[in-house]
Amino acid sequence: MTTGSTTTDASSSKLSLYEGSTQYRHWRFSAEQLAQARASLNATAVSAIGEKFEAGSSSGVSFLSADEEVLLVKFYLAKCSQLCIHLGFPEEVEATAMTYLKRFYLKNTVMDFHPKDIMLTAVFLATKTTNHPVSLESYAQRIPKTQPSDILGHEFLVAQSLGFDFAVWHAHRALWGLWLDVQNLPDVNMDELRNVYESAVQHVRAARLTDVELIYTPSQISLTSFALASPALAAAWARSKIPTEPEPRVLAVIEPIKQMIASQGAPPEVEAVRAVDRRLRLCKNPEKVVGSNAYMKKQEETERKAEEKRKRKAAEVQKAMEDADPFGSPLARDTNLDDDDDDDD
Amino acid sequence: MDAVEKANTERQKRWAKDKKVGEGTYAVVYKGREIATGRKVAIKKIKVGQFKDGLDMSAIREVKFLRELKHQNVIELLDVFSSKTNLNLVLEFLDTDLELVIKDRSLVFLPADIKSWMAMTFRGLEFCHRNFILHRDLKPNNLLIASDGQLKIADFGLARDFADPGYKMTCQVITRWYRPPELLFGCRYYSTAVDIWSVGCIFAELMLRTPYLPGESDMDQLKTIFRALGTPTEEDWPGHTKLPDYVPVGQFPRTPLRELFTAATPDCLNLLSKCLIYEPRRRIGAKEALNHPYFFAHPYPSHPSKLPKPAIKNTLPLEEVDGNVDLSGPGPAVKANPPNKLKRKHSSDDLNGRSIARKLDFTQHTGDR
Ligand SMILES: Nc1ncnc2c1ncn2[C@@H]1O[C@H](COP(=O)(O)OP(=O)(O)OP(=O)(O)O)[C@@H](O)[C@H]1O
Repeated sequence: MTTGSTTTDASSSKLSLYEGSTQYRHWRFSAEQLAQARASLNATAVSAIGEKFEAGSSSGVSFLSADEEVLLVKFYLAKCSQLCIHLGFPEEVEATAMTYLKRFYLKNTVMDFHPKDIMLTAVFLATKTTNHPVSLESYAQRIPKTQPSDILGHEFLVAQSLGFDFAVWHAHRALWGLWLDVQNLPDVNMDELRNVYESAVQHVRAARLTDVELIYTPSQISLTSFALASPALAAAWARSKIPTEPEPRVLAVIEPIKQMIASQGAPPEVEAVRAVDRRLRLCKNPEKVVGSNAYMKKQEETERKAEEKRKRKAAEVQKAMEDADPFGSPLARDTNLDDDDDDDD
Repeated sequence: MDAVEKANTERQKRWAKDKKVGEGTYAVVYKGREIATGRKVAIKKIKVGQFKDGLDMSAIREVKFLRELKHQNVIELLDVFSSKTNLNLVLEFLDTDLELVIKDRSLVFLPADIKSWMAMTFRGLEFCHRNFILHRDLKPNNLLIASDGQLKIADFGLARDFADPGYKMTCQVITRWYRPPELLFGCRYYSTAVDIWSVGCIFAELMLRTPYLPGESDMDQLKTIFRALGTPTEEDWPGHTKLPDYVPVGQFPRTPLRELFTAATPDCLNLLSKCLIYEPRRRIGAKEALNHPYFFAHPYPSHPSKLPKPAIKNTLPLEEVDGNVDLSGPGPAVKANPPNKLKRKHSSDDLNGRSIARKLDFTQHTGDR
């Protein structure tokens, strides 16, 4: 919590808590870094997928641009939120799943993995990482045309793409702390304050559709949301925290966040999304399209490698039996044979 | 190959598995090393495929919390990678745990040693609590000891965060002997005080060299606690008779701690008694405990490197095996799991190493009988 810490005492230990977090260390970027990362991810994907199309057949394909990918993901961020509300999941699950979805597409392209599938897995994983687990079966049952295996099939990929950084610091939590703190200001009207808080919560939710959490800290976002709801209260609070600054600098820091929330905080136009999704059908990675030639080829390749490995292992086992020394056998019987060790190279 | 998969392979290549060293409920633990530096590590392999709900909660909690926590007295998670459907946690390698230390009858504990272990436990715990994390399974066997004597809190499979005050939590946590009375009475809104009770039990166990409150069932656990510390009155613990699973288990008088802990100093008993206060809100906090006079009085805590430690069997010969294995191979090419001969790869060096290991293992086995 760098700016506008939500506790009265922004002690150095509090500071280092957030600064030691995986969120701070691995998932904070400048706007330029984000744009660049997405552009290069998109370029790599386009050339890699282009090669997978059968010779010549990719020439007419119009691949998605980085911006179009972002648009599609954003549409599913909004969907993700609706799904969580529909299923009655706590806000913690919803916010976490949305963070996961955003982070996932900093490492993967929608042309490999469709966000509608990843969204379902992200939500399921978030129920677990936030300690609100549900059974896979009951979860899948409540989502049309979805089998448990569809969700589980991507779970490992999602966890891996997140670098196993499951813990997320959320702006809505920081806002809660800020709200408690603002109540200590002199002459606050509780009714008014409650309305301001309700409205700030809406701004925090809008912020989830944007990139702000990849650029700013949760406390900066919460203060921004508060300032959008009541500039006067936010300024009064900031001045009470930093009495030496008549014009607290944090209020300037949050200006660009305000603009991002205002300009990007709404779900995208369905028509635009539909057009992108239609094109995605033609340009998605054929290796990931079940039943396509490229998919079959990839499957065969995987199967062939597995078969080779099995043969190699069998030969090794054979050799080991022939070589077995006198000390080996009694011990082998003594300890349970660790059969599960053959699956990790 | 996808970028994510590639990154994973890169990570995997940094580590080699050498030898199976243990097995928990949901994982197999290997000794291994960092290929580049030779640094010893423990690789905890969690099989994911076997769970019908996917990645299981213990694994998720362990990864989630250890990714965030870096402290001298908390086990360090160095890396996470996957291999097929297994999740591999690369942890710092720790030689032993406090349970083995306590049980080793050949070791003599000085009061300064106990003070040192307690200080390290409280330091690690204070850090967890400061990060809003409850451990919920503290016991001697989850306090691991590094080769330099540092104590490390491990096993975060039951941990949770408590940033949400007033959120209902399960009371089915903490191994029975270390479980506080509020959980035994079914309290669902609890706090850092639950971990402190466990630490109190461990403190007592370090002095007694045997578990302090070894109940035989949940019901018997309450009786065991009350027999030792007296049945709480309404004044000791306001409102406890209203807890969900409250049952009267009999009236036992309070006996002064010094009758059992005859050699302990007054400071020591004072801190112990503050860890074992019935009313959770009055129980001492980790930070407050660290400032307790006990830690500032003579004798000062032993330096970690001077603490008693069980002799480690096999260390030397296994190091030799390590020296013999193929260091150039990627990842887990070396699976030095001596009893499991069928799974080993076969370079000639490797075979030599294996037979050494197996012979030694063999003598050790017979020696145990
Ligand atoms: N960091 C480590 N360094 C060295 N050995 C370890 C390490 N972690 C675990 N081990 C060994 O592996 C064994 C299994 O550990 P694990 O944490 O999986 O389970 P556990 O705590 O013993 O049991 P449970 O899973 O039931 O809680 C331990 O008993 C210990 O011998």
